[in-house]
Amino acid sequence: MSIKSNLIICFSVLVLAACTGVTEREKSAFDVGNGSTDDQKILPGKNTSKTVLALLQSANEAARTGKMHRAESQLERALRIEPRNPTLWHYMAKLRLHQDRHGEAAGMAAKSNALAGRDKKLRTDNWRIIAHARHQQGDIKGAQAAQEKIQSLVN
Amino acid sequence: MARRISRKRRPSPRRSRLKRLLQRRSPNAKPRWQQWPYILGGLAGLFLIYTIALDIIIRVSFEGKRWALPAHVYARPLELYPGLKLTAEQFTHELEVLGYRYTYKPNEPGTYTRQSDRFYLITRAFQFWDGKQPSQHLEITFDHKEVESLRDASNDKSMSIARMDPPRIGGIYPAHNEDRILIKLQQAPSYLTGALISVEDRNFYNHIGLDWRAIARAVWVNLRGSGGLQGGSTLTQQLIKNFFLSNERTLWRKANEAIMAILLEWHYGKDEILEAYLNEVYLGQDKGRAIHGFGLASHFYFDKPIERLNLAEVAALVAMIRGPGYYHPYRHPDRLLQRRNLVLDLMAQQGVITVAQANSTKQSALGVIQDRKKGASSYPAFMELVRRQLKQDYREKDLTSEGLKIFTTFDPRIQTEVEASVKNLVKQLDRSRGLHNTLQTAVLVTSTTSGEVLALVGDRDARYAGFNRVLDARRPIGSLIKPAVYLTALQDAERFTALSRISDEPIVLKGRQGESWSPKNYDGESHGEVPMYQALVKSYNQATVRLGMQLGFGAIADTIEDLGVKQNIPAYPSMLLGAVEMSPLQVARMYQTLASGGFRTPIRSIREVLTVEGKPLQRYSIRVEQVRDVNSIHVINSILQEVMRSGTGRSVQKRFPSKRAFAGKTGTTDDLRDSWFAGFGSDYLGVVWLGTDDNQPTGLTGSSGALHIWGDIMSRLDSQSLLPHISEQVENLAIDVESSLVGNEDCEQRVYLSFVKGTAPKNYADCAGGGTR
Repeated sequence: MSIKSNLIICFSVLVLAACTGVTEREKSAFDVGNGSTDDQKILPGKNTSKTVLALLQSANEAARTGKMHRAESQLERALRIEPRNPTLWHYMAKLRLHQDRHGEAAGMAAKSNALAGRDKKLRTDNWRIIAHARHQQGDIKGAQAAQEKIQSLVN
Repeated sequence: MARRISRKRRPSPRRSRLKRLLQRRSPNAKPRWQQWPYILGGLAGLFLIYTIALDIIIRVSFEGKRWALPAHVYARPLELYPGLKLTAEQFTHELEVLGYRYTYKPNEPGTYTRQSDRFYLITRAFQFWDGKQPSQHLEITFDHKEVESLRDASNDKSMSIARMDPPRIGGIYPAHNEDRILIKLQQAPSYLTGALISVEDRNFYNHIGLDWRAIARAVWVNLRGSGGLQGGSTLTQQLIKNFFLSNERTLWRKANEAIMAILLEWHYGKDEILEAYLNEVYLGQDKGRAIHGFGLASHFYFDKPIERLNLAEVAALVAMIRGPGYYHPYRHPDRLLQRRNLVLDLMAQQGVITVAQANSTKQSALGVIQDRKKGASSYPAFMELVRRQLKQDYREKDLTSEGLKIFTTFDPRIQTEVEASVKNLVKQLDRSRGLHNTLQTAVLVTSTTSGEVLALVGDRDARYAGFNRVLDARRPIGSLIKPAVYLTALQDAERFTALSRISDEPIVLKGRQGESWSPKNYDGESHGEVPMYQALVKSYNQATVRLGMQLGFGAIADTIEDLGVKQNIPAYPSMLLGAVEMSPLQVARMYQTLASGGFRTPIRSIREVLTVEGKPLQRYSIRVEQVRDVNSIHVINSILQEVMRSGTGRSVQKRFPSKRAFAGKTGTTDDLRDSWFAGFGSDYLGVVWLGTDDNQPTGLTGSSGALHIWGDIMSRLDSQSLLPHISEQVENLAIDVESSLVGNEDCEQRVYLSFVKGTAPKNYADCAGGGTR
């Protein structure tokens, strides 16, 4: 099973059951060890509005049933309403990774980081996305740099 | 016509020669009666070949693509949710743009009622990219400037979000500008086919394409010279004429029409022909757009799908077939009403409806909608941007024939504000500088986060369909280039901070042709050594050129490219002061990256494209790419905010509540030929250009011209304060202007600047109590 497939799209706090973890996957040099946030769900921040939560729920349902274009559309609607919500950018990054659009995934994750403030958990997971994306693109040096970033955040 | 008459009077020389040849008989020639079988046989053969050719044309055309369907272009759908910044008046305007009708009691999709700040409406069902959205009954209340509550009126439950159907803002038409909405015969109300047959072709289901009795009747009526309702052409003939032939009234055309009508009937069933007729018939004109078919006509005149037309409306449309111009519902309503009633009488005569039905329906008004907002594009400048973006991915033919549905980023509410601002201020500025209506403008407003184009004006007449200055006017950008120069420096945080000292002394350089070039400051003064932020805030030319020469042209060109402008940046010193030509769209690309915190976000005008059946075809999704580190963008944006607080942009600050912070930069070119402003808050980025098409001096600087329009637009849009991205590596400090040390509110003159941690001054200014931090 590829690394990508473990980055299950998990958009909403409301449907946690749908989000599976990382139980079966190959280990990669770009995984983080202990303390990885990989299997900790990134949930929408407490300031997320009800409107955006409703859209996230809809996106989550769409993703669960494989309607990725609908999930993407709902996420973009949410982003237009709360463009400074770092979690939404994080979800978008995951979606892009799922779609094999690695460059865009890294861009979204970096954007999420730029808005994440002191949210270490979110930043760590964003760096994981960046590390995976860079690795997939053959940017080994860049992936290593991202990995170091993860280590510094975890420690 | 005149040409045809004169030709008749003077037979062509060729024809006369032919006549003479035929008359000259050779001695061995057979008697004329023996030649006739050959002549007739030859003619019959030619006729057969010709008929076969017509048959091929008919079958290929009818079985292939029967109609070119233009692409339909939509604005963004309005998302309604509690807390949305929107007034009741703005919402009413949105409903008007959408063509929703005010009624006392809404009872069908596309209708609404309003009681003070409470709206009740029934939305139209709509096929979006993410699926079909059914019609909804909504109840919305407004509180001052925002949506207070949103409820589903069918079950009285509160809702988190509702999406309106998007306003249609135009189409991409083929050369002859035909527009239509295809319908199936089953969709047509039963009255429609009954009315058509009663009025246009009573014998439709019995004839073979030609109706001899009708022709004889028409000939008789013509001979008697009295007018009549029934013409000689069957529906099949009319369809053939519209479909394949011209409007020319010649015997040749009539003969072709007759043959083709018979062939069409031979190959296709009556219902297929009737369905084709319903979709083909011409029913009026909407500026440059031709309204074809009952599907579009019912939307255009009655704002409802064909299935929901009532008897009176059906009769009115059928009445218009004879002459959509002559029986125009808006220009000649009385004529149309009279003919509609005649149609109703004929329907009763043919037993399609009862006499009582006809009589009662005759009492009703025409019922056409009074306020037609939809139609040919009212926003040609934006449509041009859409068309160009589409042309990168689609062939022109597909755009004008496949019936694509294009969902754009356009926001009619924002466009209205931009247009109002341009209309008032351009005229005012033009007059103030004695420019005799030659002052031109280009304005672009985008969303800072997504890069979506929200509004666009490409001419002082906002609805002008010609030269689009946002896309095509390439002008020197003047000082708008300076942030790229300073950003190049600030990327090296160890070497440069906002307080780094740079020289503003005069400088002499070699120009492009080897001539001496010595840039001057706008105020004609030299300011000695100045902090870097001040050089940008006050837009000092000498300091910028000195800094730029130190950094190198290549590094600055790289920055400009990273910011989003892909073009050759000339490597000569005057480039540092903006002797680089760009369109307002290119300028927007550059500033978009600054506004979104160093993330390059492509400027988009399209979100999605659907096929005619509503299937997803292509999505132009949001993309971001980090091209500059957040820290240097923080610092440059803090300086650009100071431009608005105390520099060349300060004059608009009074339009906004205090403490609302924007970032921006003015641009002025030699002899005041171009006046630029580019600036942004947290939500909108606006770029404004003013100048003349023949590049004459306007007497306007960036501050005295474009900035005013920008400020007016942002104030109308209630644009919000810039909120920088959060970085733990950056600190924001008040700096005492006099000492360039850390200050506080006790310092008389202070500026607010960002510093990468560890690079800010370590000491407090005396006014802030002195000492080390």
